[in-house]
Amino acid sequence: MTNHLGDIQNSKAIIIFGANPAVNHPVGFKHILKAKERNNAILIVIDPRFTKTAAKADLYANIRQGTDIPFMYGMLHLIFKHGWHDPEFIKNRVFGMDHVIEEAKKWTPEKVEDVTGVSADLLYKITKAYATNKPGTLLWAMGLTQHTIGSSNTRMAPILQLALGNMGKFGGGCNILRGHDNVQGATDMCCLSHTLPGYYGLSEGSWKYFAHNWGVDFNWLQNRFADKKWMHTKGFSLAKWWQGVLQEEKIYSSSPIRALWIQGNGITSIAQQVKVQQALDKLDLIVIAEPFVNEAAVLTNKKDNVYILPTASQFECEGSVTATNRSAQWRSKVVDPLYESKTDEEILFLFAKQFGFYDELVRGMMMGVKDGKAVKVKNSFKWPEDATREIARIIKTIGLTGWTPERLKKHQQNWHMFDEVTLKGIGPMKGEYYGLPWPCWTETHPGSPVLYNIDIPVNEGGMGFRARFGVEYKGENLLAGDRATIKNAKVKGGYPELTKDNIEKVLGIKLSSKEKEIMGKNWKVDLSGLIAKYALKAGIAPYGNAKARAYVWTFPDKIPLHREPLHTPRFDLAKKYPTYSDKKNHYRVDTKYISIQQKDYSKEFPIMLVTGRLVMYSGAGVIERNSKYLVQLSPEMYADINPELAYKYNIKDGDMIWIHSPEGAKIKVKARFTYSVAPDRIFLPFHFAGVMQGKDLSENYPEGLVPYAIGESANTVTNYGYDIVTQIPETKAGLVRIEKA
Amino acid sequence: MYEYARMKFYCDENRCIECNACTIACAEAHELPVGINRRKVITLNEGIEGKEFSTSIACMHCTDAPCSQVCPVECFYIREDGIVLHDKDKCIGCGYCLYACPFGAPQFPKDGAFGIRGKMDKCTLCAGGPLPTNSIEEFELYGQNRIAEGKVPMCAAVCSTNALIVGDADSVAEIIRARNAAKGKGTSSPYGWDIAYK
Repeated sequence: MTNHLGDIQNSKAIIIFGANPAVNHPVGFKHILKAKERNNAILIVIDPRFTKTAAKADLYANIRQGTDIPFMYGMLHLIFKHGWHDPEFIKNRVFGMDHVIEEAKKWTPEKVEDVTGVSADLLYKITKAYATNKPGTLLWAMGLTQHTIGSSNTRMAPILQLALGNMGKFGGGCNILRGHDNVQGATDMCCLSHTLPGYYGLSEGSWKYFAHNWGVDFNWLQNRFADKKWMHTKGFSLAKWWQGVLQEEKIYSSSPIRALWIQGNGITSIAQQVKVQQALDKLDLIVIAEPFVNEAAVLTNKKDNVYILPTASQFECEGSVTATNRSAQWRSKVVDPLYESKTDEEILFLFAKQFGFYDELVRGMMMGVKDGKAVKVKNSFKWPEDATREIARIIKTIGLTGWTPERLKKHQQNWHMFDEVTLKGIGPMKGEYYGLPWPCWTETHPGSPVLYNIDIPVNEGGMGFRARFGVEYKGENLLAGDRATIKNAKVKGGYPELTKDNIEKVLGIKLSSKEKEIMGKNWKVDLSGLIAKYALKAGIAPYGNAKARAYVWTFPDKIPLHREPLHTPRFDLAKKYPTYSDKKNHYRVDTKYISIQQKDYSKEFPIMLVTGRLVMYSGAGVIERNSKYLVQLSPEMYADINPELAYKYNIKDGDMIWIHSPEGAKIKVKARFTYSVAPDRIFLPFHFAGVMQGKDLSENYPEGLVPYAIGESANTVTNYGYDIVTQIPETKAGLVRIEKA
Repeated sequence: MYEYARMKFYCDENRCIECNACTIACAEAHELPVGINRRKVITLNEGIEGKEFSTSIACMHCTDAPCSQVCPVECFYIREDGIVLHDKDKCIGCGYCLYACPFGAPQFPKDGAFGIRGKMDKCTLCAGGPLPTNSIEEFELYGQNRIAEGKVPMCAAVCSTNALIVGDADSVAEIIRARNAAKGKGTSSPYGWDIAYK
């Protein structure tokens, strides 16, 4: 989120694409309801299903899946046509908007109606309501990201906000709702395969920075890899790791995957469950370290070499977590780990000891900074405080320097002294924002509740857009214009990111020779903290002040372009808006695009598939399906189906039906009549597991551990398709065929 | 003149999002058997634009409670603060109260050979029953007695949007009145009552 949940109360208009906060963020949704109540905010919901969120909306558009880009271009078409955009903001703070304006001209309301299924009238109503009520905030979640064009979707939404001048404003911004506790923290620490923690890349420079901070030899680190080239190569992704085992598509790796370690991930939350099952069967070893039985152990037919390590829950351990709005929160232990379970860190320490790298793993927690260098300062460490200190010391990119355990604990102890709308502290917490939302540049910085806000000084959380991509592109200036000067800054307008070489020139200061000696090469690796110190003194953020890029020259699509889903009900439009060429070596696996889309599936599989969450379950439902009270509310897997569609297939409410996917997978579920889905689509909740293509897998659970509810997984029938940049699976667009069981 | 408090529930259907937190918290707090729903969330017109809404319903602790009037063994008693309770030792499970109740609040366990009804169970507004306050016996038959401990009933305490409000009728009315008065007046950050119930 660029802003935070409480800040939504400042909005005058709220537009939600592909998110259902009333179900997925019930407590956060209160702020949206309060914006409506107190601020007369207009709530607009764009979703392929009439959700609980839509039930509270003032305007609702029932969009065809995977057509968010045409919808937003349609909005931009009207915005530019009626002059509802913010020319001053665009001129000073946006790069390449002219390309977007050109593309938007093509998307007339009539054309948008044909592609998205939303009437031209409604598009106008929604656009006018959203563009003329400012500030407006834009929310999204998986409905926008889980597409082959997910990465373009997530660029399109900010472009819409930039055109309206809604970025960096209280009550504005792009508010992306994270789905679970500490997902933001997991992302920041990169529990992924394509960067180092804190979004540091995989280059040698980044690795060396980390090696220095961990107190380990770079060559030692390098020798842990089969070959040094793998050190700089993205790994397999969660979405397609199974091809690393099965190798049905070509893989690029030093070895096929032979072992799988699962710690905190519901295996049925990813697409292609049939393939996942085959891959699990073929692995040499599966280890699961979780509080409940992960369905990986159940899905597989393996009888040997599957280990389940009982792991502590969040109530049995301590440490910091990061909320959806970039705020940190300290969490205390409620009880010691029950029975024989161990905490996550203890399991990993034991693992490291067994494999002979325990000392290297924990050394970073015993280090501190002296004269701009990380050095060992003590001989033991205290978990989790020293882990938090290690994070604060290393991660400069997103500004975690100020997140010391002492400050985070103080915030936890003084919850009641923060205001929910502004996050501002009162009393002893005055001058700080709750949870020190990052970037929190120094140990005295208050945190930044609203990103890219130039209307407040940097030492109160203000900043421009990051100057991440140089100062110019093909002769055009990438830095912010003069009118985009950060409040109280000594530097007027835009400026580049600070480095040792340019800091004297940008700030007009003179460094002493000692300072020059201990200063890091640039603000991202400056352990001395001098760059941040001098930047804040001059009232600017260390990372520069540039224009936001609407035009990205390094992406497959320079500006977001509409491309039909791989399995589209409108094959005629797939010819007009085709997907990408097949991509080689995409996270180590060849990935298909056009070779799938060129076939017309819409005749044989005429029904669109929508998946999503239920309020009583989360993720794969591994935890919640073990609660008898939660299960009582939704005891079995089902498909939401419109009576009109059902009667075509002679299906009655409560009948069992088969759902078939184009990949040949099928699931057997109960039909539930509802008008919340249109007659051309069905909805499946994705929290169930334990039944596979009609076969009950109860006997695969350890004795006495079958959850109260098991059922078919929706992801058995979600279709093939992966984002062109991130490889997230296309679970939010796809086709199926249904029949009465 | 001093007025005795009358405890009431109120559910703001503009705010209720059918998250069921009230239902679950109630069942967990009182360790109810599965199938006994002291509190339920009802959604009407699901999926129909402009007509779908939800509300949370339990025993409404009526001033002139119909259940109490029809009970043949007079197991009901109404406390001075208006909370309607009953004595499970007197209840014969006849079900008359269920027919009389306009909200479907009385719940009956339905096991045994012929599906016969057991003793009636319903929302106590977290005020326990006639057995000694906060005793194990009271907990086993009626659940927690949070009122005796000065706590808000579980359902309202966990309501994610503060749709469900409970308390002395005058206080409930005051909160709703303040909420309505604040409509359209813009965002503010006041303190006091508003922090807890806004």
